[in-house]
Amino acid sequence: MNLEKMMDLPGALAAFTYTDKGELQSHVLREGTELTPQVLDLLAHSCVANLAIAAMEARGWEALTGQSGFQPLKGFSVVGLEWSVIVDGNCGVVVKNRDADYEASFKAVQSA
Amino acid sequence: MHIVKQLMVIPGVVAAGEYAYRGDRFSYEGALTDEFARMASILCRANTLSVNMQAEIFDSFAENIGCRPVQGWIAHGDQITICAVGNYFAFIENRDELLNDVMTIMRAKVGDVHDDLLVNLYAKLGGDTREALY
Repeated sequence: MNLEKMMDLPGALAAFTYTDKGELQSHVLREGTELTPQVLDLLAHSCVANLAIAAMEARGWEALTGQSGFQPLKGFSVVGLEWSVIVDGNCGVVVKNRDADYEASFKAVQSA
Repeated sequence: MHIVKQLMVIPGVVAAGEYAYRGDRFSYEGALTDEFARMASILCRANTLSVNMQAEIFDSFAENIGCRPVQGWIAHGDQITICAVGNYFAFIENRDELLNDVMTIMRAKVGDVHDDLLVNLYAKLGGDTREALY
């Protein structure tokens, strides 16, 4: 996983990888950002939880409604006040909302 | 024009709706039944509550890092993506540039979500939620 390449995404503030349990493995932070490795570790834990919940909801939604296209889940994003975190698998990126390209970010974390 | 109507004229938007933070009302347009829209509203409200709770935890570790209050979330499926901003949601197809366009429109039209969101989300629990939370 090339975190430096992910930092080229528009508005990227941080890129990180994490274990299946959500523990931070590696990260790159943009100089000057208020994000810290401790916050990224918390963020990674929440991302694992959110991905699991969204995958469960996608499965349940398809079973209950008969609609398709929700599974497999290809990522989850939380949009904060100033930045968004986009994750899939074991990789995530934090981007500034005003510069965010969600589609490019989802593609980047999927292929990482 | 109402946000939901504005979203529904965009090609690739399958359904869009609005729900009350209290959880007792919803409205929608598009490819959902009343029951599916009710379920979608419950799902969106639950996820919104969850990500806001997470943001409160982040804030206790590092104040004013730019996460809180959470504005929304995106669940990116294989062919369909669910976008939620404030108390609005949209089910959209995965087409080039559609997700970015829908998020830009939703953020612009809904406006910034403020700190009273959690108070409204918790309102159904009863009691003085403002005192309990802050």
